[in-house]
Amino acid sequence: MRNDHHPGLWMDGELPPNCRLGERTVVTGATAFKRFHSRRDPGLTIGANSTMDGVQFAIGAEATVSIGDFCYLTNAVLLAELEISIGRYVIIGWNTTIADTDFHPLAPALRIQDARALSPLGRGMARPTIARAPVVIEDDVWIGPSCTILKGVRIGRGAFIEPGSVVTRDVEPGAHVLGNPAREVAR
Amino acid sequence: MSRLLPGTTLDWDWYPGTIPANAWIDETAYIETTFSFHLLRSQDPDAVHIGRGAATYLGTMFDLGPRARVRIGDFAFVHGVWFISDSSIHIGDHSMLSWNVVLMDTYRASRDPVERRRELERVPASDDRRLRHDPPTDRAITIGANVWVGFDVVVMPGVTIGDGSIVGAKSVVYGDVEPFTVVAGNPARLVRHLENSDVADG
Repeated sequence: MRNDHHPGLWMDGELPPNCRLGERTVVTGATAFKRFHSRRDPGLTIGANSTMDGVQFAIGAEATVSIGDFCYLTNAVLLAELEISIGRYVIIGWNTTIADTDFHPLAPALRIQDARALSPLGRGMARPTIARAPVVIEDDVWIGPSCTILKGVRIGRGAFIEPGSVVTRDVEPGAHVLGNPAREVAR
Repeated sequence: MSRLLPGTTLDWDWYPGTIPANAWIDETAYIETTFSFHLLRSQDPDAVHIGRGAATYLGTMFDLGPRARVRIGDFAFVHGVWFISDSSIHIGDHSMLSWNVVLMDTYRASRDPVERRRELERVPASDDRRLRHDPPTDRAITIGANVWVGFDVVVMPGVTIGDGSIVGAKSVVYGDVEPFTVVAGNPARLVRHLENSDVADG
């Protein structure tokens, strides 16, 4: 990767027009925007000096994602149907998934409707309402590889999320958590 | 014993890479793709060693820092392991590791948020745009012979897994695992002991 001064860039294709990358921010990976469908403007905002190596920006039509300065994400998967906000100086490890949605309804009857709407015969059919809630990751958070961060979660400033954790509830600032479900390690 | 020569290309490889000079790979081993070596940054002349009849498949990645060494034993079956190493990771003979497994002997970041900021501020100016953590807090990982590691498992720095053990899928292993036991869970806990009456030495 080049390290000279440049405006933010995606190394492997032409950036969608509703993405804003700050100076010296770099996005790599041929499939980074394969599932980028956001019709919001901006649909994706990344600050300056951030590194997005192999990150998947799976951002739905109504969703937006913002990421601050000096972040470092390797092969994370960001699944947004509403909003994911990541602060400054955040590190996220390989194969970690962050989702702000349940993906499908919980009620069995609505799941039948959803399966039909998603089917090859479902063109023009509306999907049922699906629960979604913003995810907020504050400044200076460290998230290890293979974690799962679920919808509606706020991870407080400076928190440390051990690899493989499944985060289902808010994490206090400065907390150290691990496990499935993630629980705080005694301070 | 002879090895795959450095610079060799693999007929079946989708990635335009070659066997690195500091990877000793037995000629009978199978490497699915040289993409597995594109994050190999170790300066060690013997950074990777892959034994007789061993195999590394598509999801495998040697994400090795400047002093890291990885050893994969004979007949070891490495489906998709992400080696995050700044010191050393050893896999014994006949061990089988599934997909999306992470073996990390280093966190590659400080526990102190202030220090992490300094590390992140050095990234944009670095040659390879990789996060560096100095001094490393790495601790070697040792996986014995005949160990079976399920999918999505994470093994943490300093862990030793004894011969013949099984680590259940999606476990996160923070502590040593006794030989011939089954552990599972996040965090991983002992589930049971395995009978070992008819097992030859590893």
